Amino acid sequence: METRVYSNSNKYSIKDILWSSIKGYKSSFYLAKQLAKRDVKAQYRQSVLGVFWALVPVLMSAFVWILLQMSGAIQLSSTTIPYPLFVLIGTTVWSIFGECLTMSITTVNANIGIITKINFEKEALITLGFLKLMFNLLIKFALIVVFMLYFQVVPTTSLLFFIPLLLITMLFFISIGILITPLGVLYGDISRLIPVGLQLLMYVTPVLYMMPKEGFLKTIMSLNPLTYFIIDLRNSLTGMPIEHWTFWLGTLCVTLLLSILAMIVYRVSMPIITERMSS
Amino acid sequence: MGEVLIKAEGVSKKFAKDLKKSLYYGVLDLISGVTGREQVRDLRNDEFWAVRDLNFEVRRGECLGLIGHNGAGKSTLLKMLNGLISPDEGTITMKGKIGALIELGAGFNPILTGRENIYNNAAVIGFNKEEIDANLENIITFSELEEFIDMPVKNYSSGMKVRLGFAIAAQMQPDILLIDEVLAVGDLGFVLKCFKKIDQLLPNTALIFVSHSMPMVARICNQIVLMDHGKVEYQGFDVPVGIGFYYNKFTNSENSILFDDGSLELTSFKLNLDDKNTIKRGEDLKFELNLKTKNNFLKIIPSIYLEFRDKEQRPVAGAIIKDIKREFTGDTLKFSISIRNIQFSLGVYSTDLTIGNFETKEPILRINNFASFQVESKTQMWVPIELDAEYTIEHYKP
Repeated sequence: METRVYSNSNKYSIKDILWSSIKGYKSSFYLAKQLAKRDVKAQYRQSVLGVFWALVPVLMSAFVWILLQMSGAIQLSSTTIPYPLFVLIGTTVWSIFGECLTMSITTVNANIGIITKINFEKEALITLGFLKLMFNLLIKFALIVVFMLYFQVVPTTSLLFFIPLLLITMLFFISIGILITPLGVLYGDISRLIPVGLQLLMYVTPVLYMMPKEGFLKTIMSLNPLTYFIIDLRNSLTGMPIEHWTFWLGTLCVTLLLSILAMIVYRVSMPIITERMSS
Repeated sequence: MGEVLIKAEGVSKKFAKDLKKSLYYGVLDLISGVTGREQVRDLRNDEFWAVRDLNFEVRRGECLGLIGHNGAGKSTLLKMLNGLISPDEGTITMKGKIGALIELGAGFNPILTGRENIYNNAAVIGFNKEEIDANLENIITFSELEEFIDMPVKNYSSGMKVRLGFAIAAQMQPDILLIDEVLAVGDLGFVLKCFKKIDQLLPNTALIFVSHSMPMVARICNQIVLMDHGKVEYQGFDVPVGIGFYYNKFTNSENSILFDDGSLELTSFKLNLDDKNTIKRGEDLKFELNLKTKNNFLKIIPSIYLEFRDKEQRPVAGAIIKDIKREFTGDTLKFSISIRNIQFSLGVYSTDLTIGNFETKEPILRINNFASFQVESKTQMWVPIELDAEYTIEHYKP
């Protein structure tokens, strides 16, 4: 018979915690799937336009920039692929950064009701957030595919790298998101800071325009690691070669470390969060 | 005797009263939790013990009733037993599959239908897909919501939600069952059905039952823990004694004047009680009431009605004091009333007083809970009145 012992001891072995975290992810997969189904269904049941709303933010910001560029209100250096596609991919990838970063705080906050009342593997919430993220992603990429067909941009073999690179990117941001979750759930400041910070960062990252050949902005952009994520993700999608292999290798190593750390921190901190959030 | 399934040893939990401090301590706990450093054991500024030094064991087939006033620490203890939060001191050992009927229907989404929510809620409390599919019909039948099962849950009444929640949770075959005051909103039929289900589960389960309804506690529990401000006030297997302690906490000496037409005043009263406010069962209970007119409107000596309530505030007995019609000339009245051979069982009783007009029966003065007293008895009974029985027993040899 399964025996559980609850005590105040906060001595833990990293191996045990990791192991129980992995078991948590495995055993709670059905629950996560069920909750994801619940959320997606509930999201669209009371809506006529349905999935269209998932596209609106990306479409709108892309549209604004396309308009600005076409009207000549701002002068941008010409892009290698048609500008609308450039902007659409840029904003989509950028929105993935933000969504991955806030994913675990948002999911934990949205499910505080069951966290404080029912004992289940809290890893389910991460899986839940990931599944919902993937669902939104599919919709957004469907839109990109439509645009690519329209502009007749043909991907090359570098497309093969798109999914692995995207997964590394997502894992990287999700891990950081999980690491700040304990604090972010306790204090609302963090979840307010993220969108503001990201908006600011967007302008020093080649999301809406190419990286300039020289000047102040170039220095900042090349110091900004987000630049490399964006450039190579866009390149792999639009049939251009991947430029920064060493960066990706380094990121992969860092991401693996971060994700292990995130699993440990999440597992250890959830009971403490539950305690402070329960009413 | 079954094996011990729930064991609590020196369990304590502290909480902070102030939200900002609570969050700050949360951060400190996070840091010491992640780094594995020793945590602060003492109370920090603004903290208090929500649960302090609890010890008990529950075996398979036993039921522990957890009672106490609001905020006594019962729910905190349940949360620790359920593994939601960990104790600050002590150890809890739980053996086997845990089922919790706490906050039924947590995870219900109001927009989705009852059927869809069965899948969600069942998944949350730990069922897998096959188990849910196999039990779906049972759940719907048990909840008696066949007609509305494809309606959004937001159109359900609170009673219907509890029905659905209980029906799902009841399909579990837990070794340990935790029940927190959840049946309060169901109608009588459903509550009885739930108790039948609990009775079915009980032989194979260690049960912890939190309730404010003492008849329910008395019905299923064989062990009582009475909590007050996080501490144990009574603990033991004598259920009526525990319940008695619980009721004594609420002995309310405040009387309330419900009605007063201004013509009569209760100046003083006396009961033949000892210094502990107690009378022995079988003795005569004597009241002495002194009344005074305030405006001489009263022409006829009024009648009096005494009503006795038990600790549950159920009216259990009454006495009418009405003589022949007599003129009232002076300005004071003294009633000496003797209730012979009190047959109340052990417990606390309160008395309501109604003084009425002799002829019209209109009330003149009504005071609720104007006097309360305790009855001492050798036997303990759940019912308020212990009838004297005379009997002979003949023993036949077959």
